[in-house]
Amino acid sequence: MLTTRVRRWAAWAPACPDTAAWEAWATNPGPIGTDGHPDARFLPPMLRRRCTPLTRMMLTAAFSCCDEDERAEVRTVFASRHGSINDSIVLLEALVRGERISPAKFSHTVHNAQAGLFSIAAGNRQASSSLSARADTFGSAYLEALTHLDREPDRPVLLVVGDVPLDATFAPLVHEAVAGYALALLLTHHGEGEEIALAVGETTASSAHPPWPDAIEFLRWLLAREAALTLRGGRCAWSWTRAGARAA
Amino acid sequence: MSPERPCALAAMGIVNALGADADEMWPRLLAGDPSGLILDASLVPDRRLLVGAVRTPLPAIPAHLGRYACRNNALALAAIQQIEPAIRAIRARVGRGRVGIVAGTSTSGVADAEDAIRHHLATNQLAPSFDYAQLEFGGLGDFLAEYLDVGGPAYTLSTACSSGARALASARSLLALGVCDAVVAGASDSLCRLTTNGFSALQAVAEDVSNPCSANRKGLTLGEGAVMFLVTPEEHGVQLLGVGESCEAHHMSAPDPAGRGAEAAMRGAIDNAGVASTEIGYLNLHGTGTPLNDAMECEAVARVLGTGVACSSTKPLIGHTLGAAGAMEAGFCWLALSAGVSGGALPIPPHCWDGVRDTTLPPIRLTTPGEHVNFADRRLVMSNSFGFGGNNCSLVLGRSDAC
Repeated sequence: MLTTRVRRWAAWAPACPDTAAWEAWATNPGPIGTDGHPDARFLPPMLRRRCTPLTRMMLTAAFSCCDEDERAEVRTVFASRHGSINDSIVLLEALVRGERISPAKFSHTVHNAQAGLFSIAAGNRQASSSLSARADTFGSAYLEALTHLDREPDRPVLLVVGDVPLDATFAPLVHEAVAGYALALLLTHHGEGEEIALAVGETTASSAHPPWPDAIEFLRWLLAREAALTLRGGRCAWSWTRAGARAA
Repeated sequence: MSPERPCALAAMGIVNALGADADEMWPRLLAGDPSGLILDASLVPDRRLLVGAVRTPLPAIPAHLGRYACRNNALALAAIQQIEPAIRAIRARVGRGRVGIVAGTSTSGVADAEDAIRHHLATNQLAPSFDYAQLEFGGLGDFLAEYLDVGGPAYTLSTACSSGARALASARSLLALGVCDAVVAGASDSLCRLTTNGFSALQAVAEDVSNPCSANRKGLTLGEGAVMFLVTPEEHGVQLLGVGESCEAHHMSAPDPAGRGAEAAMRGAIDNAGVASTEIGYLNLHGTGTPLNDAMECEAVARVLGTGVACSSTKPLIGHTLGAAGAMEAGFCWLALSAGVSGGALPIPPHCWDGVRDTTLPPIRLTTPGEHVNFADRRLVMSNSFGFGGNNCSLVLGRSDAC
């Protein structure tokens, strides 16, 4: 069992722009929306101009999830199945047409673009990783965050997960809940927040997916105060339980 | 915190522009053989580009894994097949669910995706051979898990040019956490028009071969390749002893000129290894050959290790393999530590350049072909990787037992 606490959470989706909206959503969950992005007014205009909808969502969730002191000091794990791939596809189409590509746009297509922009915006110089794991992305990212927490248990880790709908050319190849969203979780070993355990098992099955992404299903579970949650991406069975529920 | 668990790099497979495996490429690397680089006119319009292309035939992706059939995964497969017996043996011992995968890549199969997009723009149909698993970053880790038939966690890290180093770091963490009893970790990156045109647009690519730390350095040379390690909690053999990580908080495509991020990563790795900086006998530089990288890295190296430690950049010989570079260069450190000769002297890759020092930089010690480094007791070496987005990772590798 791998235990942690969720000290704080923050999320953004077109249908749920703030905490109150998410709390209402969790009592009557439905689609969270596909298009739109937050203003991200906290970002300096020069930086904000370069931010894609995905970056604005992920940075909005990340900034909302940390107070100012935490923001510069947390280690971060950013995860996204698709990341900036839609922007890479635009560049690839330009190359196929024989056009030159913009250097700034190229440097923002790296999978760690959101992590890099968070580091710049927050003045954060701590360790940061960015990952992707197909339908197992959320569970894998949560596990990666736990490895960072394990290395230095006294310092929190900020996990930020998000995606936007995949480019229409490729979307028919992927079976997933189509949504635009970002979720941030501030994970700690000690202090405030209920203790949650993760167990990782083998599976070849996929969960019957609700019409929202796994990260948002985790948030729904957290808010609904249910005892246990298992998500199956196809490779691993990711099972979370509340400490109180285990004792009972 | 989990109790300390040793982290052995128990086996390694490698493929790059200098050869199809370690036996072929390592003597060439030590000799400073420039034959790995070739001129290519197909990647960037109106430009002949010197690149470290892998020319050895690559294995075919098995038919039942056809959705993963792209060059990036074929490179990974070429590396994995070199250590497959060791992986299958450990899987039989610990169980398939206890073997995890951590892969690193910055390109994934974007070269094949470009062909798919060309086909789509011409016909309005996706090519039937293309699957999104070739393009998405998570495809590499998933492919390795499927090919090796392992059931532990399998994910892909992508932090630009530090991806490969970070894959080894996370493999060590998964062992420490107790989630896995063995992890297959490594990286693969392939030449493609997106990166070659992107770096050209950034004016970061040299006309001639990259010339790291020289007063005449003009930019990098791109390359491709793959390296895969079997990582186990054993106490003998080459050990991953320390990991240091930092972010720059500076700029998306340029490092902090003072090298503070690089310095933090290097100091972090040395502290994490629990060794003294004076014990490090060799450093494989990030050494891209761009004016900014080499300047800030030399400053950081001089502050952390001084100017007496043997250093080299291997990028002029195989090119900058981007997302694979951190694991690739850890692979060179692994080969040095595995190839010990009598008296504890280890063969060290040469720093290939024009020999014209940049007098504005600290005079770090750059190696020459045929050089050996003497170690008294434990042999400790280090590798630096610094990526776009300001993502840095340094590794300390070492070995205490006899070779």
